[in-house]
Amino acid sequence: MRAIDHGLGCCPTCHQIVRFPTRTEGAVTALCPRCGSEVHPRKPGAIQNTWALVLASILFYIPANLLPMMHVHTFAGTQSDTIMSGVIYFMETGSYLIGSVIFIASIFVPVLKILILIYLLLSVQRGWAGRYHERKRLYQLTELVGRWSMVDVYVVSIMIALVHFGGLTEIKAGLGAVFFLLVVVVTMFAAMQFDPRLIWDPPKETHARHP
Amino acid sequence: MEAHYICCHECDEISRLPYPHKPGRYKCPNCGHTLFKYWPGMFEKIYALNLAALFLFVVTNMFPFLSFHVLGNASEATFSTAILYLYHDEDYLLAVAVFLTTLLVPLTRILLYLLLFGPLYHGIVPRYAAGMLKLLETLLPWGMLDVFMVGVLVSIVKLVKMGTIIPGISLWSFAALIVVMAYAQSLFDPHPVWERIDEARGRTPDSLPGAAS
Repeated sequence: MRAIDHGLGCCPTCHQIVRFPTRTEGAVTALCPRCGSEVHPRKPGAIQNTWALVLASILFYIPANLLPMMHVHTFAGTQSDTIMSGVIYFMETGSYLIGSVIFIASIFVPVLKILILIYLLLSVQRGWAGRYHERKRLYQLTELVGRWSMVDVYVVSIMIALVHFGGLTEIKAGLGAVFFLLVVVVTMFAAMQFDPRLIWDPPKETHARHP
Repeated sequence: MEAHYICCHECDEISRLPYPHKPGRYKCPNCGHTLFKYWPGMFEKIYALNLAALFLFVVTNMFPFLSFHVLGNASEATFSTAILYLYHDEDYLLAVAVFLTTLLVPLTRILLYLLLFGPLYHGIVPRYAAGMLKLLETLLPWGMLDVFMVGVLVSIVKLVKMGTIIPGISLWSFAALIVVMAYAQSLFDPHPVWERIDEARGRTPDSLPGAAS
């Protein structure tokens, strides 16, 4: 039995069951009697907001990978590192474990997250039936795995803090790090904006609500 | 036996929850999402673990977690130096992000846990419990100490070829802090707390509102 079929809603914060007022104009909302959060049958604008954030993260992803994450200034000159050049460096010097950690966290995970969100958005908009449990698991994966892409931002900040020897050897953050941070934050917000309940809605109804 | 109703925020399914609760985990019959978990002694364990976490957090922030030696030059890094250097280099966005995710959010979450579960352990529902619980859940994905730990490990491997790297005292307390916080988080479920709040206010929780069957 789904809450929405009975004029009921589920509080997003405390999971209290809330009855919606029967006659309302415009958007259906109620206030949760227990925690005071706004309750909607489905998150309002979930699909549009998620799409917007996903597109923004794709835009940020390009400079994040092309621009250098950090600049290493030494007396011998300046060397700039992008994410990929860091991965290649580790692979060439034999640190396969660290190389693959960075590759997975910084390159693979953001792409995976964006692809999963696009797939979920399309599946919900087109009203695809079936594969409910798989799609739910994919959604939970994006929520779980998103934070781990911050690793590279932290590595840059730790390197800056440690390698700071006056004019001799210094590390500065590159613009790529800022864009990378934006990719992580924006994809996290995108995953939060999506409403997993849309996955379980029967196709017709989804079409009716999001024409 | 009485029953409560509970709804699943993953799939909107309404299901019955036996009351009084048996210790254990209760899953949504439709999608398998964990709806409710309760174990006796849950509140006191979370309280105790977060007291330990607060202590470890202070220790971790007082001492450097890594020091680095190159050709007679030495430098040390604590959590705050990383942020300060980013700030001095005018990378404000990065500085703010690192400050929020490794200092402010984790500390706020530990304090919220203590303020919430301390009184609950003594049988009192604190004022503003609902607000604190809400904040605790909102902040959950933004505390990234565990990710920072992986960042530290990666930096060690990167720097090991450039000079001598020495793990500081706080690296060990940091590792312990992550384990303690993860354990406390694995025990935590907001629903038993919401029910306590309901009981304190004299509401009967989670009966179906209106006359729906």
